[in-house]
Order: sequence, then C-alpha cells, then structure tokens
Amino acid sequence: MTQYSPLRIFFKTVVARAYPRVIATWRQVAWIFFDMAFPIVGSLAMVLVYQGLHAPRQYLGFVVMGGAMLAFWQNVLWSMATQFSWDRGNGTLELYTIAPTTFEAVLLGMAVGSMITTTIRAGVILVAGSLLFGISYASGGALAAIGVFLLTLAALYCLGMLLASLFLFYGREAWHLATALQEPVNFLSGLYFPVRALGSYVAGGASLVPMTLGLDAMRQLLLPGTPVFIPVGLETTIVAIQVPLYAVLAGVALRFLETRARSEGKLVTRWE
Amino acid sequence: MGVAIARGWQGYWAAVRLGWAISSNWTRPLLFIVYSVLRPISMALILAVMYAVITHNSAAARPYLAFLIIGTAFWSFIQEGVSEFATGILEDRGRYHVLKYTYLAPLDFPIFLVGRATSKLASASASVVIVLVVGTFALGLPINALAIDYPLLVVACLLAFVAIMAFSVTLSMVLLAGRDSHGYGEIMAQFLYLFSGAIFPISLLPGPLAWLAALSPLGYWLELCRRAILHGRVYEMFPQLSDGEVLGRLVLAVAGTLVLGYFTYLISDRMARRRGYIDMESNW
Repeated sequence: MTQYSPLRIFFKTVVARAYPRVIATWRQVAWIFFDMAFPIVGSLAMVLVYQGLHAPRQYLGFVVMGGAMLAFWQNVLWSMATQFSWDRGNGTLELYTIAPTTFEAVLLGMAVGSMITTTIRAGVILVAGSLLFGISYASGGALAAIGVFLLTLAALYCLGMLLASLFLFYGREAWHLATALQEPVNFLSGLYFPVRALGSYVAGGASLVPMTLGLDAMRQLLLPGTPVFIPVGLETTIVAIQVPLYAVLAGVALRFLETRARSEGKLVTRWE
Repeated sequence: MGVAIARGWQGYWAAVRLGWAISSNWTRPLLFIVYSVLRPISMALILAVMYAVITHNSAAARPYLAFLIIGTAFWSFIQEGVSEFATGILEDRGRYHVLKYTYLAPLDFPIFLVGRATSKLASASASVVIVLVVGTFALGLPINALAIDYPLLVVACLLAFVAIMAFSVTLSMVLLAGRDSHGYGEIMAQFLYLFSGAIFPISLLPGPLAWLAALSPLGYWLELCRRAILHGRVYEMFPQLSDGEVLGRLVLAVAGTLVLGYFTYLISDRMARRRGYIDMESNW
C-alpha cells in the first residue's frame, strides 16, 4: 500500500476542501448575485445617510471600502466560523474526523476557497460602488494597500479558524452567535466611518478583529485625509502579528475542543 | 361558528408560543434579551457615530439624529417580522421538517403563519423600547414618555403590523419555491431598508425608486412614529402633509399591500401544493 507523506496529505486536503468552495459558487448562481447585492445595498443605504448629512465625498469612499470588507467578514462568520457546526449537523464532520488528515488542513482549505470567491465578489462591490458613487482613490498607495489587504485577509481567516473551533460546541446557538457578531463588529471595526471616532480605548479593543486596523490602514493609503487612528506602519505590524497569533490559537483551540468533543460525543450530534 | 373561532384562536396561540419557543429557547432569557438588542443598538450606534463625525453634534442637526435613531429602533419590527420570520418558515421545512404537518393540521395555514409572525413582532418590541431608551439617555434625544402621542403611535403600528405580516407571510410562501433560499429574507429586509425611509428620507432616492418607495406603507408608518414621539423636533419626510393625511396614505398603502399579498399568496400556495414545495427536501 502506498504511503503518502503527511505534508502531501496536508496540501492535498487543502486543495480538496478549497475545490468545492470555488466550484459550489457556480452551482447556485442566484447566490452570487445576492452575495454581492447584500453589501452593495447596505453600502448604498449608508451612502444615502452620508448624503442626507451633506458629508464630504471622501466619506462615500469609506462606505464602499467598508462594504467590500463586509463581504469578507460575512464570509468568515458564515462560511468559516459556523462551518464545523453545519458540517456536524449534516454528517460531514464525522467524515473529517475519521479521514487520515488534520482539521487544520480542512480549515485552511475552506479559508483558501473562501478567499478566492469572496475576493472576486469584493472586487465587484468595490468597482461597482466606486463607479456608482464616483469615488477616486490615491493610486500612489495602491501597492501598499494590496499588501495590507492580503495581510488582513490572512489574519481574518486565521480568526475564522479560531472561531470555527470555538463554534464546534454550539448547536442552534452557533447561528445566533454568528448573527450577534455581525452588526456589533460592523460598528466596532469602523466599517462605515473612521475608527478613530470611537476613541482610543474602544478602537484599541476593536483592533482584536484584524479588519479594524487593516481597513483603517487601507483607507489611509487610498483615501488621503482619512482621520488617522494609528500610523499605517504600526497598524500593518499589528495585523502581521495577528496572523501567526490567531493561527496558533486556532490550532490549540482545535486540539482542546476536539478532545472534549470526542469525549462528550459532540462530534456526531445531528441538528441539536 | 363559535367552535371554529375558538379552534382558530387556539391554533393561532399555539403558533405564537411555538414561534416564541423556537426564537428564544436556545439560550437563557437574559442572554436572549442581550442578543435581541445587540443588532439594533449597534446599528443605532453606527448611525450616531456617522452623524457625530459629520455634524460634530451641532444643535441644528439634532432633528436628523432623532430621525435616524427612531427609524432604526422601529426597523427591528421589519427585521424580525420579515427576515427572521422567512428564515423561521424555511427552517420549519428544511431543518426541522415540520412544515408539512402544520400545513396538514386542521387549522388554516395562514393563521399559523400569522401566529408565527406575531411572536416575531412581539420579540422585536423589546429591542424597539431599549433602542429608544438608549437614544434618550446616551444620545440625548428629547424623548419624554409622557409626551408621546400614544393613540397615533398605536394606530400607525397596528396598521404597519398588518402590512408587515401580509408581506412576510406572502414572501415566505414565495420563498418555499427555492431549494436554497435561506438568507433571502434577510436580503429582502435589506432592500426594504432602502425604500422605507428608516435612515434617510426617501426623497434622496433616485426618481423612480423614490416613487416606488412612496407606494410602500413603511415610510408613512415610520413618519407617524417619529411624529408621535417627537412632533416638531424631528426631521420630517413629508412636512407638507398633516398627521391625518399621512395616516390616510398609510391606510391606502396597507390596503394595497393586503390585496397584492392576498393574490400573491393564493398563487404561490397553489404552486407550492402542485409542485410539492411544502415538504420539499431543501439544502440543510
């Protein structure tokens, strides 16, 4: 019998789990439309609020960039954090458990697949929103902003892996927990306004979600005149630290909760 | 006749209790209350910060803040009544597989749906009150509980609830046609957000959309809520119309929603039975 190296199995698992994420997107075409429409409609509402307040045009750019990042946060919540809970409900988690691979590989595959599809959606939201509202960006900061964006994505999906492990213990609560995390995080991460407006303590606490600092850094780079919370360099460094931090924490949480779930029989509970 | 009414009431009440249990028994009551108010309070705070960033809390702009907060508070009825309700019915079918039994039960199916919607609206009322309290004490809105025009508020809300229920019952029936329509209720609520005048005046919408929004009862309902709570001290969407005129438009729009909802329900119900949507296996 052929023996494959653990590394090969790991990467094959990543590809295998990412594959349905990408392919499944095209199986339900209506969802592509709605996944993009949801943040666009939300952004449009906020743009009209700013217009009602006679805000400077720059603030419309805040909203559009926030709308694009919202697509990622929603994806992290609904397609990463709650995923193991769903998988357990439909019986897939049992298969993951007995498969000769690791949960980390499965999660990484989910993250990679999600990143690809959500980046396309976020790109459409950004382009459509910018054209619709006539927003222009500083081209000088584009390369650096792309770097910050990739770093933020890595940190955000590592946080998603951590949440997936924590959500493993929840049944119906997982759904509600994800819903509960949505709007408060939209508020705390300054999705529609400069995060500096929240004050240093609240914004500092909100920085635990990588989107807060990543979005603020990207705005500083692309929309000159953005009220500065902390300098871009420092924001980027903190986000860079969050990547391995959340990855390690996710691994630890996964081991701990997997052991507990096995002992309590939670890995095979269907639709609690 | 009396027996039929008693049975209908019993079924309605059972549906209300079932809806309440499904909504709330996943956690402890206190946690459920916190969960229920997190979303509307966060939304209100987002708008309050946006307002503060732009206006620097100037006195001249206070009526607009009141406009935003009251609109957000009452929006919870739509969020719960449309989005959560539609999700609940789809869960009944796809996740818990009980919709077919309630459909076959000796009780008119719309009564069951109205009962479920009632529980959603009841749970939303707590978050409405809490957001208004937060608005009063944390954001300094001049809301005085003794000065509210309660008759106007109650009449406007009752009319709006009829429209919301008609809309959400019809929507849930239409959504049964989809195999993977989970989440569409939320998206529909987002679209209504744009047309309701909850957080910006409908006059800001592009021409045709503003015209469409003027046909919806939601804008008139929210206008009356704002007037009932803070008459004269809140930004008004229809300053040229008296309270009575806005109420008249609300009545007309609700009647239109009811008629449209009734016929759409009949069509989608017939289609659901013919094509087997009631007990269709969906993607859960």
